[in-house]
Amino acid sequence: MRQFHSLLLFLSLFTLSVATSDYHEQLLLTPLHPSLLLASFNFQSNTTVNSFEQQNFRNFPRSLGQILQHANTRELHLRFSLGRWDAESWGARPWGGAREGGTGVELWAWVEAETDEEADGRWLTLTNALSGLFCASLNFIDSTRTTRPVMSFQPSGDHKNSSWDNLHLLHGTLPREVVCTENLTPFLKLLPCKGKAGISSLLDGHKLFDASWQSMSIDVRPVCSAGSNDCQLQITQTIDMVLDIQRSKRPRDNPIPRPVPNEELRCDASKPYHSEDTCFPLDTAAQEEGWTLSQIFGHPLKGACPLATDGIDPVCINVPHARQVFASEGSHEHLDPNGFMRCFQLDPEKELEMILPQQEITEKAPLEQPLLYAERSFIGYGQERGGVQAILTNPSPTKAVDFVYMESLPWFMKLYLHTLKAKINGLDTHKDVIQEMYYRPALDRKRGTQLEVRILIPANSTVVLTYDFEKAILRYTEYPPDANRGFDVAPAVITIGNVSIRTTSLLLPLPTPDFSMPYNVIILTSTVMALSFGFVFNLLVRRFVAVDEADQWDVRAVRLKIAALIKAKLKRFRNAEKAEKRE
Amino acid sequence: MPPSLPQFSAARARSYIFRLPLFTRCIILVIVLLWLVSLQSAWDVQQWGALIPKEIGLATMYRTNTFPLVHANFFHAFMNILALTPLLERFEAEFGTLTTLALFLGPLSTIPALLYTFLERLIGFNTTVLGASIWAFTLLAMEAVKTYRTNPHFTIGTTQIPTWITPLVVVLFVSFLIPNTSFLGHCCGLAFGYGWGLGYLKFLAPPEWILRWIEGKLNLLGRLPHYVSVDQKTYGRYGVLPTTAPADPTSSVLLRRNPIILKLPPYLSFLCIVIGVAWLLVLPLDNYSRRTYISENALLPAQVHTYFAGSDQNVFRGYKREVDALGERSNIEVNDKLEEFFKASGLKVARQSYEYKSAGETYAGENIYAILHAPRGDATEAIVLVGGWKNMDGELNRSGVALILTLARYFKRWSLWSKDIIFLVTADSKAGPQAWVDAYHDTHQSDKVDSLPLKSGALQGAVVIDYPFDHRFESIHIVYDGINGQLPNLDLLNTVVSISGHMGIGASLQQMWHHSDSYKDRLQTMLRGMMNQGLGHASGPHSSFIPYHVDAITLQPYGEGWQDEMAMGRVIESTFRSLNNLLEHLHQSFFFYLLMQADRFVSIGTYLPSAMLVAVNFTIMAIFLWVKSGSPIEKSSKVGSTIEGGEKQPLAIVQERNAKALVPAENLAVRERELFLPLAVVAGSQFLGVLPLYIFNHTSQAMLHPIFAAFTSINGFFPLILSALITHYFAPTAHHYTLIKTFSLLILGLFLSSLATLNFSLAFLVGLLSAPLTYVQPLPNHPIIKGILAVILSALSPTTVLVAGCWWWELSVGEVLKEAAFGWDVWGMNTQVVVWCVWWPAWLVGMMLLVGSPMEEKVGVDGDVRKAKMIMS
Repeated sequence: MRQFHSLLLFLSLFTLSVATSDYHEQLLLTPLHPSLLLASFNFQSNTTVNSFEQQNFRNFPRSLGQILQHANTRELHLRFSLGRWDAESWGARPWGGAREGGTGVELWAWVEAETDEEADGRWLTLTNALSGLFCASLNFIDSTRTTRPVMSFQPSGDHKNSSWDNLHLLHGTLPREVVCTENLTPFLKLLPCKGKAGISSLLDGHKLFDASWQSMSIDVRPVCSAGSNDCQLQITQTIDMVLDIQRSKRPRDNPIPRPVPNEELRCDASKPYHSEDTCFPLDTAAQEEGWTLSQIFGHPLKGACPLATDGIDPVCINVPHARQVFASEGSHEHLDPNGFMRCFQLDPEKELEMILPQQEITEKAPLEQPLLYAERSFIGYGQERGGVQAILTNPSPTKAVDFVYMESLPWFMKLYLHTLKAKINGLDTHKDVIQEMYYRPALDRKRGTQLEVRILIPANSTVVLTYDFEKAILRYTEYPPDANRGFDVAPAVITIGNVSIRTTSLLLPLPTPDFSMPYNVIILTSTVMALSFGFVFNLLVRRFVAVDEADQWDVRAVRLKIAALIKAKLKRFRNAEKAEKRE
Repeated sequence: MPPSLPQFSAARARSYIFRLPLFTRCIILVIVLLWLVSLQSAWDVQQWGALIPKEIGLATMYRTNTFPLVHANFFHAFMNILALTPLLERFEAEFGTLTTLALFLGPLSTIPALLYTFLERLIGFNTTVLGASIWAFTLLAMEAVKTYRTNPHFTIGTTQIPTWITPLVVVLFVSFLIPNTSFLGHCCGLAFGYGWGLGYLKFLAPPEWILRWIEGKLNLLGRLPHYVSVDQKTYGRYGVLPTTAPADPTSSVLLRRNPIILKLPPYLSFLCIVIGVAWLLVLPLDNYSRRTYISENALLPAQVHTYFAGSDQNVFRGYKREVDALGERSNIEVNDKLEEFFKASGLKVARQSYEYKSAGETYAGENIYAILHAPRGDATEAIVLVGGWKNMDGELNRSGVALILTLARYFKRWSLWSKDIIFLVTADSKAGPQAWVDAYHDTHQSDKVDSLPLKSGALQGAVVIDYPFDHRFESIHIVYDGINGQLPNLDLLNTVVSISGHMGIGASLQQMWHHSDSYKDRLQTMLRGMMNQGLGHASGPHSSFIPYHVDAITLQPYGEGWQDEMAMGRVIESTFRSLNNLLEHLHQSFFFYLLMQADRFVSIGTYLPSAMLVAVNFTIMAIFLWVKSGSPIEKSSKVGSTIEGGEKQPLAIVQERNAKALVPAENLAVRERELFLPLAVVAGSQFLGVLPLYIFNHTSQAMLHPIFAAFTSINGFFPLILSALITHYFAPTAHHYTLIKTFSLLILGLFLSSLATLNFSLAFLVGLLSAPLTYVQPLPNHPIIKGILAVILSALSPTTVLVAGCWWWELSVGEVLKEAAFGWDVWGMNTQVVVWCVWWPAWLVGMMLLVGSPMEEKVGVDGDVRKAKMIMS
């Protein structure tokens, strides 16, 4: 993974130096243990700020650009994530965790505005517009879900000093949002090759959302070369996913993992009881699973994207050199001589297929250790109060780690700050551990709790951070339709310099009324009301007459009526004549 | 001048006879006719119509109506007509023809007849009775009560004899003087008469509006000669109201003194108990219980195809060999191996060690668990598959653990899990699951039980496999009772029953291995369930989950059949698929229910009244005794002189809103209640309950049995000592005893009715066992009855019940107490609190009341109470 980082560094340097070239893309494949594959897609395009302001979009997506202009947004970060990164088996996160968000949707942006109110208004505009663009419920990021982090987030772009004072950082999460194909389609549409060619042609909703973990990100930031006013607006789109090789290899029309036939079962024949009908399954961890690109993604790569012109190899794979990799005709392999990286240059016209056969291999690409392991869970039980426990482990034997832990809790989870305790290796010495704290208490139905804690964990130590909270009772209209599922609590964000880690989200059960009872009452009452109203209305409106008095509408009756009408007219006319004569 | 007998005059007699009302005439006529019929020999009228106790059955019920009309001979008939006519005439004139008709053809003949039959059968005789004399005596008793109201005594010499005993005298006279008369039959008639006269049986009379309606419809007055209409009655339908009755029944003050109301509560509370028990007994009937149904639509039980078969069976066999090989190894060695297996399946594994101490024993072990992360999930929810390495009986759960290992490997292949699956293998089935669940919710004692190094989301359900044998099975036994009588959501149970049903596997509950769907089997299942619920112990590893609102059940295959382990695995697979479907925590179906069969239940709304009625019986009695304790002392020594001597009773004005009433001041007097002693006694006995609670939960196992024996023997005579001490130092009066009982019953009633909503069965069982406490009172003058009652009450003491229960289920008392202490220390079981702090104090007070000897209390002229020395008999 270290190589991976150096590659990234190289890439970013490269981008800066060749500012004229404005689009490139790259796919990096990294096999993970056990039989998993991390696929990182990276798409980056630049446009100068000047042409952006003149609405001269080239590779920059116009739809997004106009939204950013309209909402005065200077820097934007949008994340769609699903699943859980298993740091213990998979090591450090791709991009140092910088390109991922918590479960659901996460959005933060620097909005330029004179006042806080104006910033809120522009934030609202931004979320609503993005909601439409990405088919996500971003419009539900209201004031209760918006925070203004103080320590956790730093702008990654270069902002002019003049405008810096007017930039407002706003951050919102939707932990409940389920990321799905409807979010992928608009994401792909922002790409210059739109999923038709290049590495984006591998992106398929079925495979992406079958991944054990996946994250889509969009970052827009201004990049200025040092000492010049020549600024560029950079948009980076990434998709990272961890695919289960075995699961991906199952045929699409028969994805059920049926028991394998007896003869295909791989048994440990050394066991004394091993026989025809008794099998101790063999541990297959030592073997490298064989796979091909089209097995994993459903189809081969459909040539290079012709717009990516900066000469960066679009497909790389991070495996030991001893691992056999066969690529199809028309591609050129570039081996990184002192690392594990292997990249392929593609022919725009030809499809790329990559085959890694099954192989017994002891050498493995080393995993980069994460800086911190974080796990967060609820403690306690009952409907009234509960607690949160975050276990933060510094695995490094030598280096202390200093980070900011940020929680943004919904308002109905009322935090008791005095119960916030940090135990280090089981001992209560939180003074050294908690270094700085920023706390903004919740207001009922207006805003959530925001808690940022700067923590220092000495080498090889575990800090257990706990706090208690009280559960508020909601109004019955405030419950979602699946009230008994519980309420999602956004993941905590841990920021260690440029690296960030997100915990899993939590499911908070709140005291829930028996909804079936009010519904029964409502149904019953409505029925009774409808019946009584109908009855009364009927009585009021209807005129009751005896049967013989009732008007009969047949031809004869109509004739008689008309005759009577004419007679009456005549009579009146005669009366009028008489009256005149009398005068 | 001596009172003269009414002069006989032929003219008056004639007019009297001509004025006889309709029904009286009819009865006379019928009697005469039946006598005439009986003259012939072809049809034995006497045999047909007489009341023969042994012959009474449903088909021969008519005898209860015909026997007064049939007579043995002319003399019998004549004498009875002579006695009956004037009485019947008065009755008819008072109540109207229709009422008389209804009463004499209905309750007035059947009730005494049934009473007589019952008594005869009870004694074992079979004396045939017939004749209208029973009516005569009933009417006589009514008249006597009526007379007693206006003229309570007649004086012979210096002795004042209450007038109401005259019918009794007559009965005695008749039975002595006239041969072949049934004393018992006449007494039954009298009993009814007194009951009617005192107003207890007036409810038998048909309501007036019906009579009026019938009269109006049929125009009876116009059509029938000598008909007495409802409106022509001499007196009110309810006879002469007693002079002591309140003038204004709306006033609650006066209602409180209403003698009828004051006499009612003991019967009412008894009725509550009877109805409560009967209520429970009808529950298994089809009309009161319901068939179960899946309430949560998301579960979709048995709708998925299960694939756990084929080569996975080979894997299962392999794992089972491994488990068998580990059989008697130490806990750590076993877990080392299991960890290896789980890791090979690609799961995350963690271990947790625990150590509990209870009753001087240490329960230590190490749990191992593996988490299968939901492939696309985010660790917010989890379901648990549990298997104890040893099951509740201490057997090696060999197939169960092997099945868990195989299923872990199988489930890992599926990508459809929306919730994490935790595979938990606990070292034992009692302490291990508790340690794990406690630690999962971080409520464990951190020095004894390790925290969990690995966690997942909120637990949505847990299924336990208890499969200790390795042959094929027939059906699945589902265990569902949680600790303290808490139950899992009924949907979970229904899901498993439905799934196993679809797979052709039967499901049974409460160790009812053969359920024939009969009333008896249903009742038995229900009672076993209630017993388990009442005891509140853990019935399986699942029990520990339920207090944390995690719905859990244990599945135990049993019997010899053709279902193999893979079938069990498929049941688990299908159950997990259903649980995986859940969008919300299980909440749709019932949490409070009694099951009578795998697919039949009653919900709380239907069964709760049963325990509530039993609990309410105590409250009714407590309120009644409180009211009674406030009423002035009965002036039994001042024999009726107040009314007779023309001495005026002091009157008082009662006002309620606009209504004013003048009532005897006596009725309004409230007696000063002396509360200190009763409160101290009741509070003291409640606090004493802490003593056995502490002792039995903090004694080492070896000492439990001896200490229990000592406690039982002390318990036997402890109430006597306590009573003697109280009598010696405080000299309580009957008034004090009443108040002691009031408070004791009040606490009992209060507690049981609240407990009934939490643990129905415990509340019901305790309520039933302490029901006799409602009726105990000091009996200083009846040493024999007192002795008998004391023995009965001792048989219902908590200690005796415990011993009896142990004998019945063939358990050792020491084992049971050890289990209870374990429950207290580990499971958080609180049945002991109910037994020692609610039931035992109530029993203690009850026993003390029974053996107590109240001082006599004297009423001074100014009405204050003084204590006098009582002559001890």
